[in-house]
Amino acid sequence: MFQENAEVVDQCTIASKTHLIRLNCPKIASLIRPGQFVMIKLPGGNDPLLGRPFALYDTILDDQGESIGIEIVYLELGKMTSLLPAVVPGQSIEIWGPLGKPFPIFSEKKHVAFIAGGIGQTPFLAFGKQLLGIKAYGGDSLKKTLEKITMIYGVRSGSFLAGVDHFESIGLELFCTTDDGSRGFHGRVTELLKTLPKADHWYGCGPEPMLHALCKLALEENIPCHVSLESPMACGLGICFSCVVKVKAEQGWDYKRICVDGPVFNADALVLE
Amino acid sequence: MADLTVHLGRLHLDNPILVASGTYGYAKEMETIADFSKLGGIVPKTVTQNPRAGNPPPRTCETSAGMLNAIGLDNDGLEYFLANHLPYLRNLPTKIIGNIAGKTEKEFLEMAQRISKETGLAALELNLSCPNVSGGVDFAIDPEKTARVIKGVKEFCNLPIIAKLTPNVTDVAIIAQAAAEAGADAVSLVNTFMGLAIDWKKKRFVLGNGTGGLSGPAIKPIALRIVWQVAKKVKIPIIGIGGIASVDDVMEFILAGASAVQLGTVNFYDPTAAQRIVSEIPAALKLLNLDSVSSAVGLLAR
Repeated sequence: MFQENAEVVDQCTIASKTHLIRLNCPKIASLIRPGQFVMIKLPGGNDPLLGRPFALYDTILDDQGESIGIEIVYLELGKMTSLLPAVVPGQSIEIWGPLGKPFPIFSEKKHVAFIAGGIGQTPFLAFGKQLLGIKAYGGDSLKKTLEKITMIYGVRSGSFLAGVDHFESIGLELFCTTDDGSRGFHGRVTELLKTLPKADHWYGCGPEPMLHALCKLALEENIPCHVSLESPMACGLGICFSCVVKVKAEQGWDYKRICVDGPVFNADALVLE
Repeated sequence: MADLTVHLGRLHLDNPILVASGTYGYAKEMETIADFSKLGGIVPKTVTQNPRAGNPPPRTCETSAGMLNAIGLDNDGLEYFLANHLPYLRNLPTKIIGNIAGKTEKEFLEMAQRISKETGLAALELNLSCPNVSGGVDFAIDPEKTARVIKGVKEFCNLPIIAKLTPNVTDVAIIAQAAAEAGADAVSLVNTFMGLAIDWKKKRFVLGNGTGGLSGPAIKPIALRIVWQVAKKVKIPIIGIGGIASVDDVMEFILAGASAVQLGTVNFYDPTAAQRIVSEIPAALKLLNLDSVSSAVGLLAR
């Protein structure tokens, strides 16, 4: 894990209130794997005071194929993400990571599905590339571990669909859904998921109600499922004990830290309320 | 070469920078990013006699230049700490100061007695002041209770004893004086300030616990004032705590009367701050034409 003062390489808007920022941080970039995240803090100020967690979108490679930076995709939502679009190339921001555990990979699976809601699509580009053997991360070697990925990506309205071309370009089967019917399937990701051929494994990321619905469906359909939880965090390091989630334990349940014990959890381990 | 060593009663540190309980986990979380050998010491997360699940989330929320927390002393209990965390901590190249909280005086004494049988701790800090677990009745709002716990603990435990006090009283000096008279080696000033955050649109409290403890740069001037006031009245060493995030903050607390400091919230948003600040102290002393930390302590409190 490293703390780096990362120069902003560039930044662009890829959907409504949704931006892609590229950061020069070679130490973190060479270690990070899909499913892991970084904390980012704007420098020099006390408001906002704390860092914010962001999933790895993808790594940036130089001409020799060495990892030199990372890409983050974020949605303008709160104080920090509303200030971030004003950061220009050449400016630096504080970043620490890689944090959390990567997505688990099961080599016996042939077909997996990614189920993403809101800004929860962000961890799946790098993960898709990794599973399809297009790109390696964290010093690993290239390895294609499955045949097919289906991705269901839902947002409230079509203008928020971000990076659709990125996902399509890696060869996964993509279905979009919108709450208002402006693009793709009109309805929830879980409604569409029920109508599709069953994958061997589901991976989900998105708002809590969506993930709860997904976990319940996975248990009903008896499909193994992992979900990446979104949570506000004060440190991302495991030292503040803020970002806890209820998981099943011998004596009922216990709180686990999303930042270090996750952010990816087995759906079966979570206590859904 | 500046002399950074500090002496807190029977506790001797290589430098005045400690990391505060509850803001550094059990240190292992930081092992790949921190250089523990640079730190004066580490105070791991508060341990209670029995496991505690802690408060329901949200447990923290950001405020202007600060944060509120109501973690609720989430920990696996004393026996788990001794079996699983202490073996790692005692091998680190820095001083480890245990931190305990009892619900009752009896719990404090039993825990101190149990800990006194273990090796690897340089001192014991008594958390007499967690605002999130006691239902608002902390030991350290009452000088007599504070003194009783310290005297009792000292009977069972030979480690240097540090009393961590709450600022949520009219006059911290009265409590600190009681701690000094009871034989504490030092006092840690201050724990968090009780605060509240409300989401008015949802008509509810932001934190799962309702109230929480305020920390971070927002509280620094108040903590600094308390350290200065107590330093003028109380003889035992003070460990300053409250929003410290830079070497400038450290020097301010030392001049106000702190012999050492604890970094807290800054560990969350600048995880390598502690080791960096240690390296910046010699240059700060030089600006004052001083060659030791101890010669700077209380320059403005005497």
